[in-house]
Amino acid sequence: MGTRDRCSCHGCSHLSLLPTPTPHVAMSHCSSARGAPSPSSPSSSSPAVAKGLFLLWAVPARSTQPPTLQQIHALVRHMAEDARELFLFYEQDQRLAFSWLCRTNASLEWLRGTVVMGTGGLRALHGAMAHMDRALQGITQHQRDLNPPGAPILRRLDSTRLKVRGLLSNLEGVLHAHGIVPTVPTLPRLPAATRVFQQKVEGCRILWSYARFTEQLSAQLEERGLRARREEQRQQRRGRRRSRRPARS
Amino acid sequence: MMNHFMILAVLLPLRTCHTAYSQQGSLIFPVTYFNISKDLALQRLLVEWDVDKSAHDAELAMSFEIQVHRADEATVWTDFHNVTLDKSGKPLHWIWDSDLPLECMSHSVRIRSKAEASKIWSRWSPWETVLGLDASDSYGPKIFPEEKVIEEGFGITLCCIGRKGQIIKEFFLDSDVHYFNKTNRQVGLLTVKNVTVRGASRHVSVYCKEPCSEEPCYAHALFFVGRPPDTPSNFSCQTRNMTTVTCTWSQGRDTYLYGRHSSKHTLFEEFSQNLVPCTVTCSEQSSQCSCSWDIGQQRIYNITLTVVNALGRKTATEAFDVTHRIYPLPPFQLWEECTDTEIKLHWNHQNKGIELFCQTEVLQSNGKAELYNGTAQLHHTSITLGGLQPYTKYTARVRCGAAKNFWRWSEWSKTQTIRTKEAAPSGKVDIWREITPVLRGRNVTLFWKQEPGFRANGRSISYEITWEKVEDRSKPECISLSSAYNSTRIFIDNHPYRITIMAKNNVNYSLPSILIIPGATGIEKMLNGSELKEEKVNGTEDGILISWEPRLMYDSYVIDWCNFLMSQHCDLQWERFGPNTSSALIKSAAFVPGVRYNFRVYGSAANRASLLEKKTGYLKEQPPEFCTEVKNIELSNHAVTLFWDPCPTNKTDRGFLRGYHIYVSPVQEDCNLKGSKKHVHSDGSVLCKYTIENPEERRYTVKHLTSNTKYKLAVVAYTGGGEFPELNFTYIDTPFDSDVMYLLVLLVIVPSLIVAICVWKMKWVKECCCPVIPSPNKSKVLSFKEFKIGSEKVLKISDCTPDTLAVDNKVEAQKLHLQSLMSSTPTEDKTDIHNSSWDYHNENEKRNFTSTPTPQTHTWFENLAYSSHLAVESDPYQLPETLETSKAEVSAVLYQPQYYLSILNDDAPSSPREAAGRKTNLRYISQTEMHCSGRRH
Repeated sequence: MGTRDRCSCHGCSHLSLLPTPTPHVAMSHCSSARGAPSPSSPSSSSPAVAKGLFLLWAVPARSTQPPTLQQIHALVRHMAEDARELFLFYEQDQRLAFSWLCRTNASLEWLRGTVVMGTGGLRALHGAMAHMDRALQGITQHQRDLNPPGAPILRRLDSTRLKVRGLLSNLEGVLHAHGIVPTVPTLPRLPAATRVFQQKVEGCRILWSYARFTEQLSAQLEERGLRARREEQRQQRRGRRRSRRPARS
Repeated sequence: MMNHFMILAVLLPLRTCHTAYSQQGSLIFPVTYFNISKDLALQRLLVEWDVDKSAHDAELAMSFEIQVHRADEATVWTDFHNVTLDKSGKPLHWIWDSDLPLECMSHSVRIRSKAEASKIWSRWSPWETVLGLDASDSYGPKIFPEEKVIEEGFGITLCCIGRKGQIIKEFFLDSDVHYFNKTNRQVGLLTVKNVTVRGASRHVSVYCKEPCSEEPCYAHALFFVGRPPDTPSNFSCQTRNMTTVTCTWSQGRDTYLYGRHSSKHTLFEEFSQNLVPCTVTCSEQSSQCSCSWDIGQQRIYNITLTVVNALGRKTATEAFDVTHRIYPLPPFQLWEECTDTEIKLHWNHQNKGIELFCQTEVLQSNGKAELYNGTAQLHHTSITLGGLQPYTKYTARVRCGAAKNFWRWSEWSKTQTIRTKEAAPSGKVDIWREITPVLRGRNVTLFWKQEPGFRANGRSISYEITWEKVEDRSKPECISLSSAYNSTRIFIDNHPYRITIMAKNNVNYSLPSILIIPGATGIEKMLNGSELKEEKVNGTEDGILISWEPRLMYDSYVIDWCNFLMSQHCDLQWERFGPNTSSALIKSAAFVPGVRYNFRVYGSAANRASLLEKKTGYLKEQPPEFCTEVKNIELSNHAVTLFWDPCPTNKTDRGFLRGYHIYVSPVQEDCNLKGSKKHVHSDGSVLCKYTIENPEERRYTVKHLTSNTKYKLAVVAYTGGGEFPELNFTYIDTPFDSDVMYLLVLLVIVPSLIVAICVWKMKWVKECCCPVIPSPNKSKVLSFKEFKIGSEKVLKISDCTPDTLAVDNKVEAQKLHLQSLMSSTPTEDKTDIHNSSWDYHNENEKRNFTSTPTPQTHTWFENLAYSSHLAVESDPYQLPETLETSKAEVSAVLYQPQYYLSILNDDAPSSPREAAGRKTNLRYISQTEMHCSGRRH
């Protein structure tokens, strides 16, 4: 939290979501001292507790009521932050901090495009998250070949995957409430990387795309929320004026 | 003829042999078939060749020289392959393991041969080449090997093949591992030796790059650094239920290879020649692995466990009979039946069909554990635990093992806590008393306590006390007191009484304890024991040792005392001892140092107690409080007698008073008095110490003091614990001693008076001892006509009639003159010549003296009575040895008339020194005064 504000080096403050111009080797372009999450510095317990409580609220278990859009917005905001932290951690942990390796401009097909609101938008988001869930599963599997059980990267991937599944669950709840059964569109299957290095890079690129996607999504939702609040306030004002007129007359 | 034939027969084989040998020596069998191929998986070159069939037929022993050549290097490998050919005619093979991936560059091989017997090598075969990928077109650079697992501590060589026409600009690792690389050519090389990677994730990424920066200009690869598996340890198999067998083992160190690279474990059964159908699970924390499978009908197994990873393979074996490897499941559902001293414990178990041998552990409340072994019974799952205490809590648990072919115990069952039933109190209550005579009877305070080994054996306990007259048992009286009480007071009349006490619980009474109080007639004597002398006893670190004289008539002895003598409730304590005891160490937590305790020793016969002895003592004596002050002092010149008052009892009750110490010391100095001991006081001063070992003493005289001196004195009482640490000094001044005055008068005043008288009568004394020396000018000798030279009178020869006249030659005169000079030199001066820094090794060298001898006029008066020189002018040129000798001759040259005559010869001095010598040595000796010395010439 707040990491973005403290980070000033290129590729770190907006880093996340802007491709770095220099393709040159820059292994330590964002040190942990500047605020990037260090692979060896887990967050303190009190923010962790706050996050836990927040997730309990954002992803209610066994609720009869579908989650509100507010809950989804909040969860997306949180996921954007988590995705950025995961990407930076992964990049550093896997020693892939070559900007030309992970931070490509080409987004993944299922994480591409602007999310439109409404049930169509929610369905598209559901599909993207379903793919992301599977992708995270694959990345975790690859990382199991490289790391001992319980390694930090594995724990972080699991955590992110749980959030993705939480959002999927929320989206399914909302879509069910609208009488829509969500389906996951099948995508043309690309040849899977066989070499470990390729797998690492592929995972890194997925996490990069995911971080960009969630940040854009969060920003869109934020903007729409603001717009909606403004509209609501305007209507409230109009309502007040109308209610005053008859009183004067 | 025959002989010729014989010769030919011998010569022909010889020739044949020689020819064959000659041919072999020049035989060449060049390679007829030659082929090479590569095994990329194993990174090795396979070389195959053959030679002419005749060589095979001749089964020749041959040598082959094989050379391997890399594209960019000279010959990289030469090997000699020796083989004996056989008639099968199979081609020959040779394998070469490459340390560089074969993809990296082309490898060429050639070969030549030589028969062992021959000295000539065949020609080299043409180079056979397997192409590397450097010769092929590619989309971008490529690294070989792309992925590899290498063992920690070993090395690896990688190459990066650039596209045709491109060079490799960069070739590096993402780790801090040390490496060497070769770049700026189409095939870059990177070598890492002795790879060691830190951290949990032990993989290293490799990057290479051509000079361009587009994506196809990069290549990357990765290698893992790990360890081969350790040999599995503690490999063991067992069954818990005769249905499933579980094998467990320890996999050893971390291999740092995870996921699909991690070690794979397989179990192979040798008898059935099948893989064991089980899934291996390993614990991350303990590195313990296990694998379970259903055994079916097979009872005997020989299992081989294989652990393999990319770096190696290790095995362990275990052969066993399942019936010998029964590890039963723990018993469960324990329940019990119990009496006051027995528990029958029952349980269930899941090991149906297995004969078990079970063990029960019984844990007492004091923490002591006892094991009970059960007999081997197939269906009877219970055990009887006997010899237990009534109303006592026990904790029991059970474990079992196979009765036949015991392998190991099961885990313990859950514990069962059981309390045995109540029983009558066991043991007795010890009773004692304190008797106080009152009007028409006595108050008897009864005390009781549980004897060692007494057990209440029940939930609650009470004490029942009964007393009755000894003679008349018709009317016993009785009271019952709860367990909270341990004393009570009863009133009895003056008759003898029998008192009985019993403990009682819900079940029954304990055995009674009896005490007989004698009649009042003899009780006074028994109680007071005033005629008994109180004896002092000593304390030890552990307690106070009491000893008494044993008497045959008693069946026990009792010692009682008060823990808190001074308080109202003295807390009477007692201890009972057997008839053969005559001493006891009395211990009590209430005993404190510096407190006096009084003990009474009773003999008890038939429950009647009689006072035998009285003792008093301390656990540890303490020094008394300050209690001794000097009351009076009697002072003499050399002694002082001190008087003091006895210490009050309350000040010395911290120990037995043993006596007094007297401390004496002069105020200004340390003490050293005869008959005393030295004592260093806390302030560092040394005091004289006298010890008085009689506590009744009230005075003491300190002797050998010095008169007219200020002394400090102190008296302190001491006990077995020492003395009061601070001294309260009394100061005294010893009087002046008049004897000293008399001595002073004798030694000072009398001599002074004599001296004064001498001074007063000085003239008389002088005249008597030292007559006045007359003036030479008044001498008759000088009463001649005045002829003066300067201020001196000169006697003309014509005016005097000398007694003797002698004229010496000049040399002698000079010699005499020198001798006379030396005779007048003081001894000190002579010594100075030797000792001073004026060290004249050569008298011609140093003549610069501070004093220059100047001719002076002296008149010498030699009064032989004094024999002293009034004036001396020493000649610094005089040698010391000369001085010595001349001194001895002084007396001989005194008053020699010829010696004085030389002064008359003024007109011919040989030298200024001589002249000066002569002038300065005019000596006149009054002939008229010679009588004073008693000498005449």
